[in-house]
Amino acid sequence: MLSIRNLHARIGNRTILKGIDLEVRPGEVHAIMGPNGSGKSTLASVLAGRAGYEVTQGTVEYLGQDLLAMEPEERARAGVFLAFQYPVEIPGVNNAYLLKAALNAVRKQRGEPELDAFEFLALVRDKMKLMQMDESFLNRGVNEGFSGGEKKRNEILQMAVLEPKLALLDETDSGLDIDALRVVANGVNSLRGPERAIVMVTHYQRLLDYIEPDVVHVLSDGRILKSGDKSLALELEKRGYDWVRQEARVA
Amino acid sequence: MNAAVANDALAPYGAAFEAVRATVGETAAAREQAFARFAELGFPAPRDEAWKYTSLRRLEARRFAFAGAGGAGPVDTPAVDALSSHRVTVVNGRVTDAALVRSAPLDGIRVRTLSQALEEGEPQGALLRVPTGGGTERFAALNAALSNDAVVIDVAASASVAEPLHVVIAAAGAEPTMIHPRLLIRAGAGSSARIVLHHVGTDSAEHFVNSYVDVEAAADAQLHLYRLQSQGARAFLIERIDATVGQRAAIVVHDAQLGASLSRLDLNARLAAPGAAAELTGLFLADDSRHLDAHVRVDHLAAGTRSLVDYRGIAAGRGRGVFNGKAVVHVDAQQSQARQTSRNLLLTPGAEIDTKPELEIYADDVQCSHGATTGQLDPAALFYLRSRGLDERQARSALTRAFAGAVLSRMDLASYSGAVHSILDARLERLLETTA
Repeated sequence: MLSIRNLHARIGNRTILKGIDLEVRPGEVHAIMGPNGSGKSTLASVLAGRAGYEVTQGTVEYLGQDLLAMEPEERARAGVFLAFQYPVEIPGVNNAYLLKAALNAVRKQRGEPELDAFEFLALVRDKMKLMQMDESFLNRGVNEGFSGGEKKRNEILQMAVLEPKLALLDETDSGLDIDALRVVANGVNSLRGPERAIVMVTHYQRLLDYIEPDVVHVLSDGRILKSGDKSLALELEKRGYDWVRQEARVA
Repeated sequence: MNAAVANDALAPYGAAFEAVRATVGETAAAREQAFARFAELGFPAPRDEAWKYTSLRRLEARRFAFAGAGGAGPVDTPAVDALSSHRVTVVNGRVTDAALVRSAPLDGIRVRTLSQALEEGEPQGALLRVPTGGGTERFAALNAALSNDAVVIDVAASASVAEPLHVVIAAAGAEPTMIHPRLLIRAGAGSSARIVLHHVGTDSAEHFVNSYVDVEAAADAQLHLYRLQSQGARAFLIERIDATVGQRAAIVVHDAQLGASLSRLDLNARLAAPGAAAELTGLFLADDSRHLDAHVRVDHLAAGTRSLVDYRGIAAGRGRGVFNGKAVVHVDAQQSQARQTSRNLLLTPGAEIDTKPELEIYADDVQCSHGATTGQLDPAALFYLRSRGLDERQARSALTRAFAGAVLSRMDLASYSGAVHSILDARLERLLETTA
């Protein structure tokens, strides 16, 4: 589904990604772990098409298309979804409007008819229940005045409504207390399925207690140093990241 | 009189006044004085601080026909959506719906023309008042000299009028014409009323509309003014609104500046007695090569007065916006509150908005704040919306509407806000088409 080869990217003169190789197949859940500044969020941003990053080398293929050549909205419509580490507050644009416009954009791309107001509301209500969000959120500005936890829940709500093929979760666990983490993880788990891939970027192993990954990668200084199954995450939790870096240097 | 006309630019105005003076009867002396004041002040000098960002050179060079105080011939009035079933129409400065004026258009509101008010013994001084000071004193004086009619609106004391009165000020005809509409609005003690002030005109002619609106809100009155400036695309519009607000009275102005080629509004509120309040909010859209200038000034003259000024501007293309907000808290205005914000959005690189909030405080126990921002659409918000599948145009449109929405959402008169929305929507759609 997603095939990243030798990806190099920089911001200004600072090279952040220094040769990423990653293969993600439908149905898989990948966790990308690494210390602060390793390039995790940059990878998520480059995949979603955020401006300000320059890809200097390498390719990203998504469902047979050149992902890097697509505009952010084309990526979204093709089924790529980024749950932001810091969701943006947009006063004056209400949540319901955004959800509906986003859903209809995706449905149009999939060749499905637009939902009418009634169908839309039924769908959203259902997903809000899953995310334990009050319906009053619909009429508020996007993320406006939301707490950290509410913002993250709102991200997963959008994801649940849009049903992407490839979900990128950027530090979705950061700033969440244990109850909120459970709700968010529950939302993500409800979307697991044979057609959908999930790539989680995270600093801590904690999230992986709730969303079990198939593959764990260690990212450090812009490269994936090691990949393994979920036991690698537990080992990182116990031993930190230094041993992986040492191992990589020796190799 | 002509001796006072110092330069060529004023000569046509002098000629117009010569034509008028014979026909104005008993008001001749007052008008003569007003014209002398205009001639003395002339057009603004190049370095006039009140006209720092707005040049009137183009206006000064134009020559306009003048219908004279005797009245304009019949002209086609531009089509206007009814914002209320109670309407007074002023075409080229003259009230056209005399029948409506003679009867009370609304229970509790009386509307008269200048001559009716004079016949009934109203003092000329009040009807043709010339304010002092400010960049538009000259034009208010010119208006008093040349105005061929006036609309005198009185809200009876204690009357509570729910239905709005819709006052249409229209510029009509194919020939470039100068028009001097004049309104006097007096809200009686304890009354409450809503008045829509609606400027319309043809897009084909370069009219000059020089309007003066004198407002008095007596003690405990609540007066809501809804201004919709959708003057024709080639028009020059200068308007001065002077509001004097009495004890515990409040004036609320909603202003939507969407039309004209060059427009200047001076909106002055004098909070003259304890507890008086003013809430002045506005939105302007300076697209194409439109030039829109709003000067909003609040004078706090008495204790416990409150003002809120909140203007938002959008500029695109070669459009230019100017906002100057000034709050003066005089020495007797202890325990007053003055808040002022000006937020501005530039949609394209060639557009410009100059904003200048000013505070002058002479009392020591007051709460004042002001802030001004000018920027572009937030790139982080744009990316967020696009990452959800909205295309760039949809995302820009949503964010632009959200920006305007903060002011629009306060417009508490459905017919008015509906009219503002529909004009704004159409214009933003066209704008985003060309800028996305």
